[in-house]
Amino acid sequence: MSNLIDYKNISMALSGNTILKINHLAIPAHQCTLLTGKNGSGKTTLLKIMSGLLKPNSATIHYQGLELSWKQAKPYIQKDIIYLHQQPYLFDASVADNIGYGLYRAGESKSAAHHKVMQALDWADLTHLAHRSAKQLSGGEKQRVAVTRARILSPRLLLLDEPTASMDSDAKKQTSLLLQRLKSEGVSIMVSSHEMHTIEHIADRHLHLENHDIKLIRHTPSSNKVTLLNTTKKKL
Amino acid sequence: MNDLSQASINAFQLLLSGNAEIWEIISLSFGVSFSAILIATPFALVIAFILAFFQFPFRRVLISLFNTFMSVPAVIVGLTLYLILSRSGPLGDLRLLFTSKAMVIGQVMLSFPLLVAMAHASFQAADRRAWETAITLGATPWRAFFTLMYEVRFGLIAAIVAGFGRVVAEIGCSMMVGGNILHSTRNIPTAIALETSKGEFAQGIALGMVLLVLSLSLNAGVSIFQGKGELQA
Ligand SMILES: Nc1ncnc2c1ncn2[C@@H]1O[C@H](COP(=O)(O)OP(=O)(O)O)[C@@H](O)[C@H]1O
Ligand SMILES: [Mg+2]
Repeated sequence: MSNLIDYKNISMALSGNTILKINHLAIPAHQCTLLTGKNGSGKTTLLKIMSGLLKPNSATIHYQGLELSWKQAKPYIQKDIIYLHQQPYLFDASVADNIGYGLYRAGESKSAAHHKVMQALDWADLTHLAHRSAKQLSGGEKQRVAVTRARILSPRLLLLDEPTASMDSDAKKQTSLLLQRLKSEGVSIMVSSHEMHTIEHIADRHLHLENHDIKLIRHTPSSNKVTLLNTTKKKL
Repeated sequence: MNDLSQASINAFQLLLSGNAEIWEIISLSFGVSFSAILIATPFALVIAFILAFFQFPFRRVLISLFNTFMSVPAVIVGLTLYLILSRSGPLGDLRLLFTSKAMVIGQVMLSFPLLVAMAHASFQAADRRAWETAITLGATPWRAFFTLMYEVRFGLIAAIVAGFGRVVAEIGCSMMVGGNILHSTRNIPTAIALETSKGEFAQGIALGMVLLVLSLSLNAGVSIFQGKGELQA
């Protein structure tokens, strides 16, 4: 199976300290990858490099048959990969306008965007909050808006930075439910976490970040894979 | 005392009766200061943003330079511009001295450091996640810049209002490069200073009231917008 994207020889130092030194990080398509690591191990740094938001000291990227430097790849990965902050940032606008932000930037017509936003609100069960000011939402609601705002753009890969950290158990459940639905829709996801239990059951693979490098802890369990394929087929 | 109260009554009459000369002076003041702020603001905002969001050599030096220039007296800016625009100066051929255009240039120079410094403080306090979120959702850097400006709009409006407040009330520069010529470069501050010294108290008081009300409301505006900005953060 070919990978969605391969990152090779990522190296990153900040203020003279080595943060990352990764030989090879492969991201398979349509899978959910769990990335664990202690606080300060470099998860956020890695996800920002992967999404084109943070420039590494060096990295080679294999993407869509091309071998590119990070700089060359930046426009592609910024377009196709969406990074979600640990504490999502919602713009000072309504929930609906937040969700539509990327659509408007992509030049969708007003009516087409509006239609998609309505559907997305319904998908995330946020319709009742559509006209609320996004700044007033709770942490869990903000997270759901941020996920919906990303999903509506059909990204190739969604990177979620500790989405359940500092959440109560109810919000955690809702977020993991949302992730499960994304996965069943065939969206490729990578989720970082410093504690693994909340989303472990969703993940197909488990990577661990330690001593600046990535270790593969667990491959796709076959039973999981079958359910994933079935649900994807049903959708099609 | 009687003279003064009579002059104050005359001042109100001048304003309310729509005295052509006085309203011409007021509109010239506004016209010059609005133009100056309109010209200075876009450049100041872009520079302030770059200073806040990008790392490059001499960035710190530039920031303290703008902070320092903020406190250069208006009359020194006026003197400098006078020397540049005077007949024998480097830009003397443009024949701009003692025109309202020269006043606009002077006020651009005066307001620019203040605009940059205050806008820089707003961008500095802005959430970096706002920029990253806009970019990762597909905004071009230019578009993300506008999104960010919207997020910190109250601080930016406060900067613009403060900039306008500084130039509309300054006298040193307008006097030097404008020359207080009736129908052409006489604005509120130069009119107050010179007409009052000629014994035209009513006009001085009337213009003084306009400027006072304006300055007080601009200051109130700055605090209101800065307060809103803090609530947002
Ligand atoms: N701007 C920075 N300058 C210097 N060091 C930084 C900077 N940002 C993060 N670091 C360091 O990089 C390391 C990895 O940080 P981060 O990627 O946020 O880890 P994690 O997300 O796993 O908690 C930490 O040791 C942190 O102190
Ligand atoms: Mg982190």
